[in-house]
Amino acid sequence: MNEKERLKKALHHEKTDRPPCICPGGMMNMITTDLMDRSGITWPEAHLNAEMMADLAQANYENGCFENVGVPFCMTIEAESMGAKITMGDRVHEPHVTEYALHSVKEWEKIRPMDMNSGRTKVVLDAIRILKSRNLDVPIIGNITGPVSTASSVMEPVIFYKELRKKKEDAHKYMELVADEIIRFARAQIDAGADIIAISDPSGTGEILGPKLFEEYAVHYINRIIDHLQAEKMGVIVHICGQMRNVYAQVEMIHSDVLSFDSCVAMSDAKKHLKKHVLMGNVSTWTLEFGKPEKVEQLAVKCWRDGSGIISPACGLGTKSPLTNIQAIRLGIRKATEEKVEV
Amino acid sequence: MTTSKEELLNKLSECVLEMEDEEVVDVAEEYIEAGYPALDGIMEGLVDGMNKASELFEEEEYFVTDILLCSDAMYAGLEVLRPYLPDEEEQAAKPVAVIGVVEGDTHDIGKNLVKIMMETAGFEMHDLGRDVPAEEFVNQAEALKAQLVCISTLMTTTMSGMEDIIELLKERGIRDNVKVMVGGSPVSKKYADDIGADGYSVNAVEAVRVAKELLNIA
Repeated sequence: MNEKERLKKALHHEKTDRPPCICPGGMMNMITTDLMDRSGITWPEAHLNAEMMADLAQANYENGCFENVGVPFCMTIEAESMGAKITMGDRVHEPHVTEYALHSVKEWEKIRPMDMNSGRTKVVLDAIRILKSRNLDVPIIGNITGPVSTASSVMEPVIFYKELRKKKEDAHKYMELVADEIIRFARAQIDAGADIIAISDPSGTGEILGPKLFEEYAVHYINRIIDHLQAEKMGVIVHICGQMRNVYAQVEMIHSDVLSFDSCVAMSDAKKHLKKHVLMGNVSTWTLEFGKPEKVEQLAVKCWRDGSGIISPACGLGTKSPLTNIQAIRLGIRKATEEKVEV
Repeated sequence: MTTSKEELLNKLSECVLEMEDEEVVDVAEEYIEAGYPALDGIMEGLVDGMNKASELFEEEEYFVTDILLCSDAMYAGLEVLRPYLPDEEEQAAKPVAVIGVVEGDTHDIGKNLVKIMMETAGFEMHDLGRDVPAEEFVNQAEALKAQLVCISTLMTTTMSGMEDIIELLKERGIRDNVKVMVGGSPVSKKYADDIGADGYSVNAVEAVRVAKELLNIA
C-alpha cells in the first residue's frame, strides 16, 4: 500500500494497515529551518518561486517527515491576490498581511478578482503542476485559506467581526464574493493536479464567533466552497482552530470528509461527538517544537488510540521545531503498527 | 421630571451589555445634564455593563464578537463622560502596561480583548499593535516606565518571539522593573514558566486577575 492509496482509504473510513501521517501545508505549515538547511531551499524565496516551492514541499517527504506533499506554506495567497498588502516574512516568519484592502464589508465591490495567471497564485499552481509531473507515490495536497480567515485578511478583522452582526446584508455579499474567488482558486489547484484540498479557517472559530455566527458564516461558506469543487478529487480536509465544545453540532454539518483540530480538543472527546467525519490530528505543536522525540511518538500513538484516523500536527509547525521531533510522529506510528502485528 | 441617578446608571450598564453604541451616548448626555458625577457614571454604569459582559463571556454566553461590540458601546459612553471627570480623578495614577502581538503575527483579536478588559479594570494600556519586533516592546516598556509587559501570539510559528522579548529585557537590565504576562492559544502555563514569564492567562478575563496579582493590586 503506497502513501497515496493509504490516505485515500483513510479519508473514506476504509481499512488501512495503519493511519497515514500527514501535514497539509497552508496554515498547517510543515516547513522548518532544519528542512531548509537539509534542502538548501529557504524562506522567503520559496514563497515566490514554483520550482523552489515544489522542491521544498518534496524535501519534507524525502526527509521522512510526512507522507504527503503540499503547497503553499502560508495563508496569504488569496488575500494578496484580492488586494491586501503582504510582507514575505523571513526564514522563520511566515508571510503576513501588512495592509488591508477594505475598510468595511460595505466596500465588497472593491475586491479584486483573483488572477490565476500571475503572482503567487500562479506560483502555487505551477508548483502543483511540477509535483504532479514527478509522479510521486505521495498525495498532493492543495491548500486554501478558509472564507472567514480570507475575509478578515482582506479587511481589518475587528471591524469585520463587528459587521458580521451589524451589517449582515453586506457581510453576506462580501463573504459570497470571497468564497467564490476561493472556489476558483481551489478548482484551479485540482485542475493543476492536487489530489486533496485542505481548508483551514483559523479566524472563523466557534470561540470567536459563537455557535450562531459560526454556523451562519463559517460553516455556510466553507460548505459553499466544498460543494463547488470538482467531483474528481480524493477528498477534502477542513481544519478548525480553538475549542469546539460549543460548536460540535455545527462542525458536524461541514461537508468535508475529514475534520482536523487543535491540541486543546481532546481526540477522545471529539470522537464521542463527531460520528460522520474521519478525524485528523492532533499532535501538540508545542511538544513538536520543545519536547523530546519519545514524547512525540507517545502522543502520536495516543491520537491514534483515541480515534484519530489520520495523524498530523495540531496546528502549523513552529519553524524551529527539530527534524527528529517531526520524524517521530511517523516513527511512533510505525513502531506501534509492528508491535500490533507481533501480538 | 428627571430620571433618577440609579435608573440612568442601570441604563448605561444595559446599553453596554446590549451593545447599544448610539443609545449609550444619549443616556450619557442625559446623565451629565442631570448633574450626576461622571466618575460614578463610568464605574457604576459603563464599567458595570462591561463587567457583566465579561461574566457572560466566561460563561460562554457571549463570544468575542459580542465583547467587541460591548466595548464599542463602553468607549462611546466614555467619550461623553470623560471630559467631566474632576482633574484629580483624570490624573489618578494608573498601573501602566504595554501590550502587543509578537513579530511575524498579525492576529490581534486576543490582544484587543485583553486590552479592553484591562482598560475596564483601570489599567493604562499602551497598545503597540501587531507584528511588533522585540526591540519595540522593550523600548516602549522602558520609555513609558511600564510595570507590565503583555505579549500575545496566536501562532506556534511565532511563539519563540516571546522568549526573545524576555531575553532582551534582561540584556537591557530592566527585566526586574517589569512583570511579563503572556497569552494566546498555542501558549501554555508550562511554556510561560519555561521562558521565564511571570504570568500566563488562558483568556482575557483571567488576564485581569493575573495582572492584578502580579502587581499586588486588590
